[in-house]
Amino acid sequence: MQRNTFYSLIGCIALALLAIFWYSIEIHLPLLIIVAFIVAIIVIYLARSRVTNLIEDERDQKITEQATIRTMQVFWVAFCAFSIGAAMEILHIPEFPRLTPSMHEPVILPPRLMGYIQLGLLCLMIFLYVGFRIYYARKYGEWDTDEE
Amino acid sequence: MHDLTQEQLAQAIGVNRQTILAIEKEKYIPSLDLAFKIARYFDVNIEEIFIR
Repeated sequence: MQRNTFYSLIGCIALALLAIFWYSIEIHLPLLIIVAFIVAIIVIYLARSRVTNLIEDERDQKITEQATIRTMQVFWVAFCAFSIGAAMEILHIPEFPRLTPSMHEPVILPPRLMGYIQLGLLCLMIFLYVGFRIYYARKYGEWDTDEE
Repeated sequence: MHDLTQEQLAQAIGVNRQTILAIEKEKYIPSLDLAFKIARYFDVNIEEIFIR
């Protein structure tokens, strides 16, 4: 399989996943998108192993490594800070500051909303990773051209 | 000098053409392993290629 065919296949799989995602919402069957996602990943890995002109060399690995490290450095701080705050909010500990008669009841976020925010942070991580990947790919000359 | 394209060199040492280009443009510093492969391919010492 040629590299461009592989990329086209990924595009088709992505579109199919999007369609399945909305369909699973419509029929209220989350298992469908879960299974579809797992199958899609397996198909991509199998197809990737059959690509003849796709070489992942040490520069590609360095780009991936750097992008992953930077993403995790940013992400774990944001995610852990929010999660600790959310856990404290849910468990009401510590009750601080002590309420005085003049103070209003503190606004407590519903646990479900916190889950959604965490999910949002996870989605943000994907964009962050893509951003870092583009940055390091540029840094290590991914899209450079020459006169050859 | 060797009448060699980047693509041919890349294939010979098992990397992408873009990696050869990045090394040429000094945007990427190759590992010792890759540097030795390149030197071995041209049958020269490593410093003849990478040290100016």
